[in-house]
Amino acid sequence: MQAAYAPFISVAESIRFEITPQSLLPGVPVAVKDNICTKGMRTTAGSKILENYVPPFDATVVEKAKKEGAGIVGKTAMDEFGFGTFSTNCAFGVPKNPLDPERSCGGSSGGSAGAVAAFKLPIVSIAESTGGSITCPAAFTGTVGITPTYGLVSRWGLVDYANSLDKIGTIGKSVYDAALLLSVIAGYDEKDATSLRTQNTDYTAFAKPDGKKLRVGLPKEYFSSAVDSGIVKEVEMLADRLNSLGFELEQVSLPSTELAIPTYYIISMSEASTNLAKFSGLRYGLQLEFDEKQNIEEYFTKVRTEGFGEEAKRRIILGTFTRMAGYKDRYYLKALKIRKRIINEFKQAFAKVDVLLAPAMPILPPKFSEIEKLEPAQVYMMDILTVAPNMAGMPTVALPIGRINGLPVSVQVIADHLQEGKAIQMASIIEGLNGR
Amino acid sequence: MEDEVIIGLEVHVRLLTKTKLFCSCENREVEEPNTNVCPICMGFPGTKPMLNEKAIELAALAALALNCKINKTFSFSRKVYFYPDLPKNFQITQYDAPIGIEGELMLLKAGRKIRIRRVHVEEDPARLVHVGGDITSASYALVDYNRSGMPLIEIVTEPDLKTPAEAREAVATLALVLGHIGVCDPSAESAIRVDANISLAGGKRVEIKNITGFANVEKALLFEIARQKQLRAMHIEIEQETRHFDEIKKTTSSLRTKESEEDYGYIFEPDLLTYHITDSMISSLAPALEELPSKRISRLISKYQIPENYARIIIYEGKNFADFFEHTADIFEDRIMLAKWSVGDLLKCLNYNRIDVSQAKITPQSYAEFLSMIKSGEITERLGKELIKEFVATGADPRRLAERYKNENFENLDLTQVIEATIKENPKAVEDYRKGNQKALQFLIGKVLEKTNNTADPKKIRDMLNARVAQ
Ligand SMILES: [Zn+2]
Repeated sequence: MQAAYAPFISVAESIRFEITPQSLLPGVPVAVKDNICTKGMRTTAGSKILENYVPPFDATVVEKAKKEGAGIVGKTAMDEFGFGTFSTNCAFGVPKNPLDPERSCGGSSGGSAGAVAAFKLPIVSIAESTGGSITCPAAFTGTVGITPTYGLVSRWGLVDYANSLDKIGTIGKSVYDAALLLSVIAGYDEKDATSLRTQNTDYTAFAKPDGKKLRVGLPKEYFSSAVDSGIVKEVEMLADRLNSLGFELEQVSLPSTELAIPTYYIISMSEASTNLAKFSGLRYGLQLEFDEKQNIEEYFTKVRTEGFGEEAKRRIILGTFTRMAGYKDRYYLKALKIRKRIINEFKQAFAKVDVLLAPAMPILPPKFSEIEKLEPAQVYMMDILTVAPNMAGMPTVALPIGRINGLPVSVQVIADHLQEGKAIQMASIIEGLNGR
Repeated sequence: MEDEVIIGLEVHVRLLTKTKLFCSCENREVEEPNTNVCPICMGFPGTKPMLNEKAIELAALAALALNCKINKTFSFSRKVYFYPDLPKNFQITQYDAPIGIEGELMLLKAGRKIRIRRVHVEEDPARLVHVGGDITSASYALVDYNRSGMPLIEIVTEPDLKTPAEAREAVATLALVLGHIGVCDPSAESAIRVDANISLAGGKRVEIKNITGFANVEKALLFEIARQKQLRAMHIEIEQETRHFDEIKKTTSSLRTKESEEDYGYIFEPDLLTYHITDSMISSLAPALEELPSKRISRLISKYQIPENYARIIIYEGKNFADFFEHTADIFEDRIMLAKWSVGDLLKCLNYNRIDVSQAKITPQSYAEFLSMIKSGEITERLGKELIKEFVATGADPRRLAERYKNENFENLDLTQVIEATIKENPKAVEDYRKGNQKALQFLIGKVLEKTNNTADPKKIRDMLNARVAQ
């Protein structure tokens, strides 16, 4: 599988399972996105600048999975530090879509989704999303991805992209698989100040294709002309079917959706540019020959020039600009305000409906040859359906509902903060309709 | 015409917590480099800060002591700059909402208050060890992360200081106030570090970085003022720059020129939350504020019935000394004697040995025993004054010290013989004394005491001298 689709950056040489009769994941292979620390196992975040980083500790999610009897089989390919939509910005090879190797797995958790899709085994993945990096690859590979509420899952051990947005989540072959892994990794952790004090929850209890009829909202901005019409049609057909089964449907509006992309990129790049500062070659980053004639700034510059990929450099420069004294009010601080507005709009919608149903991605999985032709701004537009729920920190389940020309079409089910149960329940109902 | 001098200070004070600001490493100086560290304070990718709430309490206490307005809701920011002492290349500090703003500090000698602009919490960077010279001349530097992540408050004054002496007084007063309320231990190595901003009226601002020691603050500023005045006299423009103070040469030298104010690109620290100082936290700090120097002086006077000048000296020696006094007062009843000895010989011996009382090996118990030996007449006051030197220097048991002293010196000596010898050696004084000169008697008593190494009883010597000279 690795030879054909390259979902992994590193694979485990051997695994020791710690299994008890109570284990929730006895002997289950788990693939982990390579920006999540694994003790004694290289963690690169897809970047050359971290090619030799071997963390001396496990991320909390890794520790929890191992404690339930799982084994970490490998570290999955990703866009460098999560900067991308197609996993093409990876310093260690680009993962290929198991449904069509000429196409992308999506990103940035491309390898995590690719590994789940590639193996005919009960494998699950720990992935991570900042602005859509779980929903996108799940949609492109026809797998199920859960992006939890911001703070539900501890970020201890996650190599940061944008800390106020980063969420560790799961990808599986079914809603049940993804929900089971979420049940294991969720929960309060004192090592992450932003983690929420929640009760342990068994999310598989919601993964049943029945239960009470939820009120479903259709956000009209998510059905715009920017979305592939074939995808829109599939999602509308699904909505009709739900309606005929007695689900209450309501059109809702999230008017600030069009502001979500610039807002997201300003906040995420501002934070990212500070997170990446530590990779300067002194403690972290490449160790290059130090020329006596250089001063320390010149050395840092050389390390960063050689170590970072093009997209990382672009985000460092833009993110530094948006937080500089003369521009901070216009960009960084304004973006924080709009983010609050976006959260409020979601809250208003969830006062009327239980979940929102929308297309997951605006396009079908593209070919690498098509991706090459895209400008950075066109790539950023691929996030149009995912950045708003991600910025609002709302839990989202992405799952396939059908195929067009053999390529998967997926929806996302979005719920209010900490209402993972509702999103999982709705996703299970939809999964059941497709006769899985 | 004299140029007006404008001085403002940024005083970094290490907080007296058990652990560092964002991890569980100990908050103390450890000699072996890079042994008091963990992945968090070394900024390993994947780590996150965990806030030490005790540091917030102490910072709030400092802000209250300086009469600041308290920001009851506050957050942290990232200050980004690339420097080898910062493992993350950003420092977690407070920018938009510091814990305290708009405070004041009373300077007694200057006879006026200066304004405090802000008090904020931040993490200490690592320590750079310059090898083969100082920061300006070293051939290379090593990084010791033991200090990385230690909790600091930075106290920023308004540019209200007019002389180097005032600047020194401001730093000393801050150390005194914050020491007494338990915010910091001013006696600890580099617990207080000062950046001084100085300009002549109408001139550019120069920052002198990282000065330790009250006297050095004054010396650095004196040199810098002289340098700037000289440049001005020669019509050379003073550059806006950062300078380093050389503690040995007592001079400043340029580190870097600043073309404009540095832009640190502050953002909110996204790994931490917005925190709140509750009214209950503020009321829980009230007892500590009772330890402010002015209040503690009054308490010492009324509780122990000691004169104000003694109380003042005891408090101005700092918290450790005042605590030592009070702990001794708990077990030694003659408080006036205690106060007198404390501000006199005890202090003299500590200063001679250049140690803080907390570094001396004496305890309130041994000190009380020492004083009670004098009070009971077991040893003379004069012998006491001799013994206290070794007592403070070594912390040895005072009773054993006295015994050894007597054995070595006087027990076997016949006081009559000593008096005979003294009379023979000082015929002029004897003559004067016979004529009724009391000073001559004092002189002779002193000479006899000297010969007995202060072990003999002066009263007994006087009686014997009287009897002998009257013959
Ligand atoms: Zn530490």
